[in-house]
Amino acid sequence: MDSLAAATAESFRLLFSGDEALWVIIFTSFSVSVKAILLAVPVAFVVAFLLAHLRYPGRRTMVAGFNAMQSIPAVVVGLTVYLVFSRSGPLGDLKLLFTHTSMVVGQVLLSFPLLVALSHAAFQAADRRVWETSVTLGATPQRAFLTLIHEVRFGLVAAVIAGFGRIIAEVGCSMMVGGNILGYTRNIPTAIALETTKGEFAQAIALGMVLLTLALLLNGLLAFIQGRGVMSS
Amino acid sequence: MSEIIRYSGLRKSVHGRLLLDVAALEIHEQTCVALSGRNGVGKSTLLRIIAGLESPDSVTVSYQGQTMSWRRARRKMRTHVIYLHQSPYLFDSSVTDNIAYGLRCKKLSLREISRRVSEAMDWAGIGHLQLRNARELSGGERQRVAFARARILSPRVLLLDEPTANMDSEARVQTYRMIKRLKDDGVSILLATHEFHTVAHLCDSHLSLQGGILQQQAVGTESADLKVIPYG
Repeated sequence: MDSLAAATAESFRLLFSGDEALWVIIFTSFSVSVKAILLAVPVAFVVAFLLAHLRYPGRRTMVAGFNAMQSIPAVVVGLTVYLVFSRSGPLGDLKLLFTHTSMVVGQVLLSFPLLVALSHAAFQAADRRVWETSVTLGATPQRAFLTLIHEVRFGLVAAVIAGFGRIIAEVGCSMMVGGNILGYTRNIPTAIALETTKGEFAQAIALGMVLLTLALLLNGLLAFIQGRGVMSS
Repeated sequence: MSEIIRYSGLRKSVHGRLLLDVAALEIHEQTCVALSGRNGVGKSTLLRIIAGLESPDSVTVSYQGQTMSWRRARRKMRTHVIYLHQSPYLFDSSVTDNIAYGLRCKKLSLREISRRVSEAMDWAGIGHLQLRNARELSGGERQRVAFARARILSPRVLLLDEPTANMDSEARVQTYRMIKRLKDDGVSILLATHEFHTVAHLCDSHLSLQGGILQQQAVGTESADLKVIPYG
């Protein structure tokens, strides 16, 4: 009990004394996940819009596919990216394994189905008159699409928050394709896993507090945004 | 009055049922035409096709005497024809932003947009609403914003889908006044309604849609004893 209390006290000291090793890990986590979400979101929105507003054979199967892909374990995505980027893999010559880039690719693949599924729901719930009104007032399809995004922004922001929440806290993919290299690819979840196995709980608790705070903030933001959405509908 | 658009051989099926079989429909300059018919008869579908929001199964379109493909006609219509839904959709932003929307699409200068928006708001008598979110407005106010938003683009044809449905009598009178003023400004109006007698005073002619076929009716008669003339 005493050692747990000591570790907790030490974790606070690490957090608030600006411990460089700890903050590099936090920075790596945010850097990789923000890049991944920025890359995934525009494509996911376009795919979700096309799934919601166009009628073509196989559309419902694709929607079901994206819904099903949400439950693919992160470690399986990590394994796939690992095999693709490993020396004998199809993209092995790029030498991207155990780099930020491979971590970003893994997180894009992880977040993409979730982003598509949730933003598809938002686009599908949109009033058909948004598109028609934009077009009849002279908007190009691109402009009408941006108007539609604005009208369903609460649902889309909720999708982005959920997608970011999924990748910032995942361990399996980052561990496999990042390699957990100190000062380079070690991020919050992989650092927590490693420090815990070493019995070094202080850093693990400090990073856990960062993740918990982030989770609370994201959920609070989500609740606030969903509230705004209901009020304005 | 010269002809703006002419649709010939317009056919549209929905779920395998022939909904519209219009031999000919002409829209002339500065006229107000009522399009009547029971609910579900296809009035809105016809207006949506004219606006280019839906595609017919077959049609021949001529714009100012020039016959053109449906694809090209649809582009023309999106420039010159504006369709107002039965319940107009206002974007989740200020009244000013809503009215300026079409001008922003045309990429006019901010100064020009500002000048024309304030003129349109004066026209519709909604200057006092300019900073309000359009979603917070009453039904009558929303309709006035929608009319101002359409008028600011100087359309040649305005398609109104049951513009006074679910309105109280005061809002109806205001809407009729705006339709009359738009007509006086030179806008051609095609107005769908299932109660022709309520808009008879505004209209130059009356088309009735029955069983997918458009028929010219004599203006000034009640729907019960309409004089039916095959149209087109």
